[in-house]
Amino acid sequence: MGIAKPTINLKLKVWRQKDNNSKGGFKEYDAKNVSQDASFLEMLDSVNEELINKNEEPILFDHDCREGICGSCGFMINGNAHGPQKSTTVCQLHMRAFKDGETLVLEPWRASAFPILKDLVVDRSSFDRIIKSGGYISVNTGNARDANNILIPKPDADEAMASATCIGCGACVASCKNASAALFTSAKIQHMALLPQGKVERAQRALDMTAQMDAEGFGACSTTGACSAACPKDISLINIATMNRELLKATIAKPEEHVGGGDG
Amino acid sequence: MSNKLDSNIPSGDIGDKWTKHKFDMKLINPANKRKLTVIVIGTGLAGASAASSLGELGYKVKAFCVHESPRRAHSVAAQGGINAAKNYQNDGDSVYRLFYDTVKGGDFRAREANVHRLAEVSVNIIDQAVASGVPLAREYGGLLSNRSFGGSQVSRTFYARGQTGQQLLLGAYSSMMRQVDLGTVELYTRREMLDLVVIDGKARGVIIRNLLTGEIESHEADAVVVASGGYSNVFYLSTNAMACAVTAAWKAHKKGAFFANPCYTQIHPTCIPVHGENQSKLTLMSESLRNDGRIWAPLKKGDARLGKDIPEAERDYFLERIYPSFGNLAPRDVASRQAKYRVDEGHGALGEKAVFLDFKDSINRLGEDKVAERYGNLFQMYDKITGENPYKQPMRIFPAPHYTMGGLWVDYNLQSTVPGLFVAGEANFSDHGANRLGASALMQGLADGYFVLPYTIGNYFANTKLGKVETTNDAFKHAANETQTELNKFLSVKGSRSVESLHKELGHIMWEKCGMARDKAGLTEAISKIQNLRKEFHSNVNVPGEGKGINNELEKAGRVADFIELGELMCRDALTREESCGGHFRSEYQVDGEAKRDDEKFCHAAAWEWNGSADKTQTRHQEELTFDNVHLATRSYK
Amino acid sequence: MLDFLKSTVGRKYIMGISGLVWMGFVLTHMAGNMLILVSPDLYNAYGHAIVSNKLVLYGAESVLVLALIVHVTTAISLTIENRKAKGTRYAVNPNGDKGPTLASQTMGLQGSLVLAFIITHLATFKYGKEYETVVNGVPMRDLHRLVVELFQQPGYVLWYVVALIVLMFHLSHGAHSIFQSFGFLERKMVKGVRKFAWAYAIIVAAGFLSQPLYVYLLKGN
Repeated sequence: MGIAKPTINLKLKVWRQKDNNSKGGFKEYDAKNVSQDASFLEMLDSVNEELINKNEEPILFDHDCREGICGSCGFMINGNAHGPQKSTTVCQLHMRAFKDGETLVLEPWRASAFPILKDLVVDRSSFDRIIKSGGYISVNTGNARDANNILIPKPDADEAMASATCIGCGACVASCKNASAALFTSAKIQHMALLPQGKVERAQRALDMTAQMDAEGFGACSTTGACSAACPKDISLINIATMNRELLKATIAKPEEHVGGGDG
Repeated sequence: MSNKLDSNIPSGDIGDKWTKHKFDMKLINPANKRKLTVIVIGTGLAGASAASSLGELGYKVKAFCVHESPRRAHSVAAQGGINAAKNYQNDGDSVYRLFYDTVKGGDFRAREANVHRLAEVSVNIIDQAVASGVPLAREYGGLLSNRSFGGSQVSRTFYARGQTGQQLLLGAYSSMMRQVDLGTVELYTRREMLDLVVIDGKARGVIIRNLLTGEIESHEADAVVVASGGYSNVFYLSTNAMACAVTAAWKAHKKGAFFANPCYTQIHPTCIPVHGENQSKLTLMSESLRNDGRIWAPLKKGDARLGKDIPEAERDYFLERIYPSFGNLAPRDVASRQAKYRVDEGHGALGEKAVFLDFKDSINRLGEDKVAERYGNLFQMYDKITGENPYKQPMRIFPAPHYTMGGLWVDYNLQSTVPGLFVAGEANFSDHGANRLGASALMQGLADGYFVLPYTIGNYFANTKLGKVETTNDAFKHAANETQTELNKFLSVKGSRSVESLHKELGHIMWEKCGMARDKAGLTEAISKIQNLRKEFHSNVNVPGEGKGINNELEKAGRVADFIELGELMCRDALTREESCGGHFRSEYQVDGEAKRDDEKFCHAAAWEWNGSADKTQTRHQEELTFDNVHLATRSYK
Repeated sequence: MLDFLKSTVGRKYIMGISGLVWMGFVLTHMAGNMLILVSPDLYNAYGHAIVSNKLVLYGAESVLVLALIVHVTTAISLTIENRKAKGTRYAVNPNGDKGPTLASQTMGLQGSLVLAFIITHLATFKYGKEYETVVNGVPMRDLHRLVVELFQQPGYVLWYVVALIVLMFHLSHGAHSIFQSFGFLERKMVKGVRKFAWAYAIIVAAGFLSQPLYVYLLKGN
């Protein structure tokens, strides 16, 4: 805005794959005259516009809100989840972060639990199934008591919020060499374990959610911290420690089995 | 004609209507609920809360969303907060005051009874959200924290940092996922509703396109809830997410649901200005910034200096000057319009289309830490997008399309003109009149889903005889065929214009002629331009790829085709409404730059009826609005 | 409990507990061996004392062997599963702020090297040449002589230095991860734990390193 910046030219090597059953491969594209004020996805929009005008299929990538909150977007740029900038989703990454003449390699999230659907789009429904297995508090509509009857110390509320801020983009899994979903799963466990409302079901929740996490085929946490470094919302590794503790406590306490998670 | 629009407002005193109505409505016994299926289209705040509540009651629910996960619905992006008349701050708030503020804020174009109900259930929403684990901000004593918001003089807004929408959505999403786990809700993701199926005059199902496979699916039900959000993307550039579309609502409209007040659109004052031709969307920054930020424009015309270099004496804090009692917290429509005037008069920031939003005084008063605690994520976002540090220099902001008050017409029970079709959240027209106050969209979405629909849908079932329908019924087959034919048409044109370029052109027309200010000549011109654009679209669009598998361009083509038809209706609605009210500002009708309503002629909601073809002008119906409690008056924030 | 032990989280506990056994062992082993810097007789007497008490010796040895087997097999099973979970690897490795540390990228390689080291170490010392000596009238094995002999070969010292540096990284990761895996970690402790882990690893590695280097440099002739 204000002061116009010079435009840059880039070479893109993009992973193209027709569908899950097809073999994929890299294809090269030129991104010319890219404004440095544009976002990364806007740069791809222009590449796509050119492809469409040439009657070629545009590069498919997931995206929606384009303000870093919906968690739809995300792919690897030169091996970095969401690109080189910390605390940023790729939709909020602007072309100021790149230099003229750079070659950028775009790859989809890689994890067996995130099968590739097409090009840079992967299926993250495994995350939904982890939440479904217990990432909730069993309260029916209309059962709530006055919100101020539940006192929550500000530090706990703030900490819970810091964990709850996860957008479920999958960058943690993508950047983990083991494709572990520990950061995602633990953030929800931590969020709910910190709140008085969530304490009742915390043991069962830890058991169910971690079991689902394993069943989806995510790997184990090796405490490398790559997940947290790539996380656009700076979710802390501490959450994973909490998850491990919650699971051990839950295992020792052996809560009563109930089928299909918490029943209302 | 207006007899077609029975609002079904219960009798009695405004404060008793909802209580009385809840008792008068009939109930369904649990064994029968299991046999009844409800389809919910959209899983944002309204859809997810409706799906989970209906599932808890025992109905069979099928929930559909275009996203890969319900958690990505655009409710997620609401930042500032959610209103509730809790009066925790002891600053004079009450249900009646929230009701009063909302009716007045809507410039007397909302239905009083609906608004009062909204204010009543607002308190339950906060309780429900907290109970389901939403980490709303707390004070050191452990109690909930509040902030103030535009258009109100009390502090009634609850928030979770600058991510209130995200947290409320995740709350509703997790409640719904619990029902999915329990088997009462079946979740269908990456599915788009492309038609409503009406049998014997009642909504009995939907036609869905599976966005992964391209298959056309038919789903039958006993009632359908459309909670598919608003249509701001008709402007191309808006703060809405890329997938936000009018399609589900528009298809229902074409099957008989009237579309009300399409011209009521909200332009939000605090957005990051446009930066170039390739911009894909605009980014909103929470209105809560106006709590501590001061809005100003340079006094000197064409002043190209950076904000920080302009001395105090050469600044015009125009909102504080014009509206001394509300100052920077004037309602959105008013604040947006004043910013537009400054720019039109040549007082834009850096000589461009923007004004300044300055935190210098707050940083001096509160310290950078406190400001960062309140707005840190917004400042960071601004920095990322513009590359400028708002702690060091004033932000630049400009209004952008953000929310649409218009939508499918519904009665008090949130039922549209098609029996069995209910509409919730931003997709309906009901509660905000001609202008929505800040922090009340989240409130309305959750009110509809958690606390209104579960009652009124039950009442519909109890009073309606519903035979069994199958997807093998001719109506389903016919609708599925028509849908497939339309998709094939898009694919077969093979013209020279991309969907994106046509959408941009539509957005340009809409923003210039049906944006912050409208007039007769402009609207007339816009209608003919849009009609031509529609022809251009259907004869010259280029949709690459095929109907099978994922085809993003095909999805976009369908949405833009609907936006074009809607755009024309918006202009026609704006043209017919010869007055200014709230977000609808007709340049011909003003007093010193403020909206001039015409209560004699236009104290009604206008609901449009589709006449079978886009070439036929739609029929306008009226629902007269009465104001028995908050008396009609000129809205003043001075 | 079985489910727990089979889960990815549970197996990290197993890694931690078995690792902890060895962490305790290497620390005491290093401390005891420092006697080499004091006198050959003390060094030999210390070794003799350990092997004389058969009950303690076999008890300790079986715990260590068991821990090692558990540690290694669990590591292998996790590595296999992790590889499977990742599937295809990226064409480009990450760098910059989001790039992983070399130490964390090469845990498996480190582990293999450490295992190789343990095996050669046992072969050369525990099951190596049996020299005899007499200290205070008690006949015993002259380990000191063997150590001095071996550590005067530059190749052997170099292998030791490399192996111990690898061990240091392995230990620092382990010491840090235990807090994380066991869930002891709280936000306030993060920096402290990281420092503690490095302090522990450096002390162990430096202590061990001082021994071959001392022999090589000072006892060279």
